[in-house]
Amino acid sequence: MPALPQPLATILENPEVHIGGTDATIDLNLGRAFLNEILAARPPDTPVEELLLDPEAGNLVNLHLQVQAPVVGNVRRKITLRPGPAVSFPDQPWLQFDITDGFKLFDKPIIKLMQRQIADKLPRGVELTSDHLRLHVPALLTSAGHQKLVPLIKELRLTSQPNQLVVRLRISA
Amino acid sequence: MHPVQKHLFDTNFKDLAGSKIEGTIAISDELINMGIMDFINSLKSGAGSDAPKEPAAAPASAQSIPDPKALLSLLDVETLKFRSGEGKAMIDLKVSLKS
Repeated sequence: MPALPQPLATILENPEVHIGGTDATIDLNLGRAFLNEILAARPPDTPVEELLLDPEAGNLVNLHLQVQAPVVGNVRRKITLRPGPAVSFPDQPWLQFDITDGFKLFDKPIIKLMQRQIADKLPRGVELTSDHLRLHVPALLTSAGHQKLVPLIKELRLTSQPNQLVVRLRISA
Repeated sequence: MHPVQKHLFDTNFKDLAGSKIEGTIAISDELINMGIMDFINSLKSGAGSDAPKEPAAAPASAQSIPDPKALLSLLDVETLKFRSGEGKAMIDLKVSLKS
């Protein structure tokens, strides 16, 4: 894990003492080119050969994906995702994306058949079924060593508009 | 420089246009003092450096960060108020990146 800058590490040691009284909402409008620059910077050893995001109107995001999958070989799909409701702790820890389109005839039965193997391969906190992809935000933050951030996040929500993914984050300490 | 950071600098933050922050940020005195010491130490290490002066005359270097004045011109600052609390500084702000 990369070392955090000292002020940030100090905040995380005791958020209430160092930033208690903070209540701020951040809207990050991430343009399509920027998003794909982030995805292009993924580690070179991932089995994903192509990974592109194309946010569009109506809160829908297209994910262009090409992977080397076991048994079936090289698979290329354009999957459409709809970001779900806001994450808020502790009641709603999942950041969910419903898969609304893009799977071909046999994709769903294969995914259902291989559900256990898929779950074993995914990092803890990431869940993929034939209907949705969801991320357990506290589990992901904890495995990254940032569990003290979890109670500070009062709202985390993703929405899509043409060529932009909007991340809304409300932090309160 | 990380490719993502370089992309933001090269495109003048165009891909974050419309982003905004609104609310109150509270910072403890201890954190502020830590920042002041970090700043002073960074100035000292810069001034004490034996590095040749000439490279400073190469502002177009790919490693250089954007001019702070140019960065500020990208911001719409609607609110920026400082107030002090008990052992803390509070900043009320509403700032966005111009679309």
